[in-house]
Amino acid sequence: MAITRIGNPAIADQRGINFRNIIINGGMDVAQRGTSVSSVTATGYNTCDRFQTSFTGTAGTWTESQSTDVPSSQGFSKSFKLDCTTADASLSTTDSLTIQTKFEGQNLQYLLKGTSSAKNLTLSFWVKSNKTGTYIAELDDNDNARNINKSYTINSADTWEKKTITFAGDTTGAFDNDNGASLRIFFWLAAGTNFTSGTLQTSWGSTVDANRAVGQVNLADSTSNEWYITGVQLEAGQVASDFEFLPFDVNENRCQRYFQEVGGPVTGSVGFANSFTGLFNTTTEVIGNRILPVKMRAAPTVTISALSTFDLEPFDQAPSTLVAQNSSPDEVNLNADSPTARTKGFGGMITIDQSAGYVRMDAEL
Amino acid sequence: MIITLVEKIYDHKGNCNMYKAIMNDITKFVPHDPDNTDYQVIQEWAAIEGNNIIDPGA
Repeated sequence: MAITRIGNPAIADQRGINFRNIIINGGMDVAQRGTSVSSVTATGYNTCDRFQTSFTGTAGTWTESQSTDVPSSQGFSKSFKLDCTTADASLSTTDSLTIQTKFEGQNLQYLLKGTSSAKNLTLSFWVKSNKTGTYIAELDDNDNARNINKSYTINSADTWEKKTITFAGDTTGAFDNDNGASLRIFFWLAAGTNFTSGTLQTSWGSTVDANRAVGQVNLADSTSNEWYITGVQLEAGQVASDFEFLPFDVNENRCQRYFQEVGGPVTGSVGFANSFTGLFNTTTEVIGNRILPVKMRAAPTVTISALSTFDLEPFDQAPSTLVAQNSSPDEVNLNADSPTARTKGFGGMITIDQSAGYVRMDAEL
Repeated sequence: MIITLVEKIYDHKGNCNMYKAIMNDITKFVPHDPDNTDYQVIQEWAAIEGNNIIDPGA
């Protein structure tokens, strides 16, 4: 049987037809933390997984959301949206606003960065804003403090436009072969003069702040401003292939390497669900364990909702204290104090029984 | 990142594997994993003179 290669033969410099997109969740389909967050003024992951809104100083106040406004007939169903709710028309020198996504070095070794065979990288995405003008996209080598920046133009207000930018391969500075953040992409949206006063660095070189965002418009200058992005793809080579649509479950699992949440019931109160299962280690101490469905990048940071959103089962009683006691990439233990003494060795569960309840596990880069 | 508290958490066997930290007004339980970015931030914070990790004991 003859075997024929699937795909565009012009794309000769790629890892393969599958998983050629380095970006995780580039279609913005997965939003484990929520679909809309208002009053965003500080760095954080808020809605679409793997995309971090990042500030230095201040640069307006924003509502961030996972939007259903998408390019027509391209196959996308979600986009990432920022909507300015408090303007900052006079940025201070150190102020900036960027959208970032980061990648582990161990997934980038095939790019041969730091060698004479370093591969070019092509970034493609769909973008829309009422604010036309020059924007900056930056690749940042976090291991070697090197970067490269390219500008793109939003030509027509309130119109989805596809942008394609090719970055030369970098023959200096290999990525570390580990699970740390080696490569970052910055989509610049606002930049004070500390980032704009030089000459845009369009070839790889040592990072100089003044050369990173030269020409960048200030998206924060009006509460009329909004910015959307979806279909983000970064791939080896000089050609932007069609966006690589992955099944939702594959996308979600990839995102859960960096963030997972055990939430409460959608409605009402459900016993013996959303649980950390264990036993009474003493008469008043319950230890509950949960094996994580996807091994995380590192032992995760754990955040938990209010005590009133939890129950100790089978006694249907809120714990008096609750802490995360151990965390590894594979599992998390919670430790709860029972307000009523029980029998040591009996089984017990720490459950989330209110819709507002959660246990969040974060191993982001 | 504004850190206002870092306290050791001990498990039932007396091992300290986690910090309880208040970071940007959010209470977090941070594992002692050098690959965890919150742990990295805490280590940088603790290296600054005057910042202390509270040890309540096992």
